[in-house]
Amino acid sequence: MSKQVVIIGAGPAGLTGAYELNKLGLRSTVLEADDVVGGISRTVNYRGYRFDIGGHRFFSKVPLINELWREILGEDFLDRPRMSRIFYNGKFFDYPLKAANALKNLGPIESMLVGLSYARAKVFPSRDEENFEQWVSNRFGHRLYSIFFKTYTEKVWGIPCTEISADWAAQRIKNLSLTEAVRNALFGSGKSRDGQVITTLIDSFHYPRFGPGQMWERCEKLVNESGNQCVRGVQADRIRHRNGRVEYVVGRSTNGEQIEFAGDHFISSMPIRELIHAFDPPPPDEVLRAADGLRYRDYLTVVLIVNREQMFPDNWIYIHSPEVMMGRIQNYKSWSPDMVPDPRKSSLGLEYFLWDKDDQWTWSDDRLIELGIQECERIKIIGRSEVEDGTVVRMRKAYPIYDQHYQENLAVVRRWLDTIVNIQCVGRNGQHRYNNQDHSMLTAVFAARNIVGERHDVWSVNVEKEYHEEAKVATPAAGERLVPARIIRPEPAAPVPSPDELIEAAFARLDPIALGTAVGTLTGLGLFMATAILLLQHGPRVGENLSLLSHYLLGYKASSWSGAFIGLVEAGIGGFILGYVIAWLHNIGLGRYVSMIRRRAVREEEKEILEKV
Amino acid sequence: MTSRTDPLYEVSHAVARMKAGVLAIIFAVICGGGLFLATVWLLIKGGPRVGEHLNLLSHFFIGYSVSWGGSVVGLFWGALAGAVIGWTLGLIYNSVAGLRTR
Ligand SMILES: Cc1cc2nc3c(=O)[nH]c(=O)nc-3n(C[C@H](O)[C@H](O)[C@H](O)COP(=O)(O)OP(=O)(O)OC[C@H]3O[C@@H](n4cnc5c(N)ncnc54)[C@H](O)[C@@H]3O)c2cc1C
Repeated sequence: MSKQVVIIGAGPAGLTGAYELNKLGLRSTVLEADDVVGGISRTVNYRGYRFDIGGHRFFSKVPLINELWREILGEDFLDRPRMSRIFYNGKFFDYPLKAANALKNLGPIESMLVGLSYARAKVFPSRDEENFEQWVSNRFGHRLYSIFFKTYTEKVWGIPCTEISADWAAQRIKNLSLTEAVRNALFGSGKSRDGQVITTLIDSFHYPRFGPGQMWERCEKLVNESGNQCVRGVQADRIRHRNGRVEYVVGRSTNGEQIEFAGDHFISSMPIRELIHAFDPPPPDEVLRAADGLRYRDYLTVVLIVNREQMFPDNWIYIHSPEVMMGRIQNYKSWSPDMVPDPRKSSLGLEYFLWDKDDQWTWSDDRLIELGIQECERIKIIGRSEVEDGTVVRMRKAYPIYDQHYQENLAVVRRWLDTIVNIQCVGRNGQHRYNNQDHSMLTAVFAARNIVGERHDVWSVNVEKEYHEEAKVATPAAGERLVPARIIRPEPAAPVPSPDELIEAAFARLDPIALGTAVGTLTGLGLFMATAILLLQHGPRVGENLSLLSHYLLGYKASSWSGAFIGLVEAGIGGFILGYVIAWLHNIGLGRYVSMIRRRAVREEEKEILEKV
Repeated sequence: MTSRTDPLYEVSHAVARMKAGVLAIIFAVICGGGLFLATVWLLIKGGPRVGEHLNLLSHFFIGYSVSWGGSVVGLFWGALAGAVIGWTLGLIYNSVAGLRTR
């Protein structure tokens, strides 16, 4: 009998899990607490105006995920230009920051102050780099930090930058792979590990014609059509386990009815904190406490329908102005023109990052819409009279929080979960990891494949760069629909060296001892043979010229056999030193070159730090 | 010489190997061509006691002299000596590097 799999959550992770399982020939049931699918990547439809929770770019370095997206959505998967700027002091600044544009917008005096503060940071950097403020100020100067980093970061995380650890910022940059940087420097940044062309974060991204929800509704449809089941409106309430195995999940429907879902394997994309609390019997207190220590940042969007054909060309703008609470404005028409039903209108999503305990969280929709309009007026983005309508969407647990204790807490939780053999945690909140859709999906693909006997570490995704490589699997051509087909493994390819193999060879070190030995042997033997030939010829003034080498080789004479042996030894030693030094210089040169590439890549990454906030 | 914290290690763990055949060709071209050009240059320049010192190579390269005919002989001998040097260099380097990374 075929294995039955129960999946909790119909967000990108849960649905991808079901889709992949179906390909592997396994049946699954997906339980979704909400009455829509897509989770945080859903699209809300308000009177024909569509909008996301934030804006969801479809961008992945994992070829498998790109293929999956195309396979699911086919032609409705658009390639969209990306533009996003920073709004500060009534002006739009290019993002990533460009010197000329920033200077122009800041004006000569402020630019000079920024320059001085940058110079100061370079000459007298803050010795302690304990918090985010110090970390950014040391790199960009304190003045630039206060304009472009402080307000936005504090809006998103609700904590003063002086209380955010510097490690957190460094972590975002540190993940950078040096091999990848070298690959980009040599082969261009548009190539992924397998040589596939990938678009850079800067220029463009993919987006479904009707928003990300379209992807997940389509995926749900394919899952259902192939004989699996995605049940909306059923919340996994209890997870019954015995002898280290989950036996069934107790779901509660919207009308309060309790239903049991038995299975051989379970995949959970529900927040890991809630998952732990759902276990019956409950885990030890220590595990419950650790789970309670995992925190989330909540998020709210005020959507305004504006009676204007074009707002601005940006997909979104970062609002750095400290006088307003909103952190970003999404311009959904720029994401896809089909997000707006009437081409004469636009819709804006004002993003507020909150805790669900904040006052504003409980404000009425009308009050929040009023707040949005007032803030837009204050920064002169739109006028009140232009706003035709509005709505509010609240999303709890939008961001898993990486605080000082989350790693320890997660470790405790994971250790206990390891004792339950047939449940795997996937996705963003499912793993309490800052995963994007692609990472979330990949964890689910791995989980599905583990069920058929493959061995993948679902927790390695978005941690190690290597997961890109693992995920390289050829799949049917784009547009092919969901059929219970096995994964097609690539034919053993002709031995064309991959970029990585080329890099490995090109950056191979010379062995100084080996080169020293080779050059030393040749010079020593060479001089010995030359001397010997002259001696054997017995001519007059034998080796007169060669003997001049005695200026450098102590005791060398071209007129005697003892001289020949002295030449052998001394020229051998000299040659060894020469070879050794050549190899050493070669290696140092290569190392310097690699360091230079790393520094350049780090600088590029640092320019995009806002995106990583 | 390169420590494991060296950035080079992050990019490549390999120790370079030399292609002895390719080295032989490169050295042959450089040595043969070099001796040929050096000889021809002295002949074109002319003057008294043309190539007095270069002529000493005739002790090692039979038939070589600083003359038009000798330049061709020099091309041959230079190339041969270069090929032997290049090939031996590659061979010794690869053997030692191989022993050390085993
Ligand atoms: C503001 C913002 C912007 C973002 N931008 C991007 C972007 O540009 N590109 C990108 O790729 N990613 C982006 N992301 C991340 C992306 O939204 C997530 O990676 C993705 O949605 C995670 O998928 P998931 O399935 O793991 O989790 P979720 O999307 O959270 O889905 C989990 C699902 O499980 C359901 N569920 C929870 N508990 C239960 C239960 N007990 N029983 C049954 N069902 C349950 C939920 O209702 C939900 O539908 C963004 C996120 C945010 C917050």
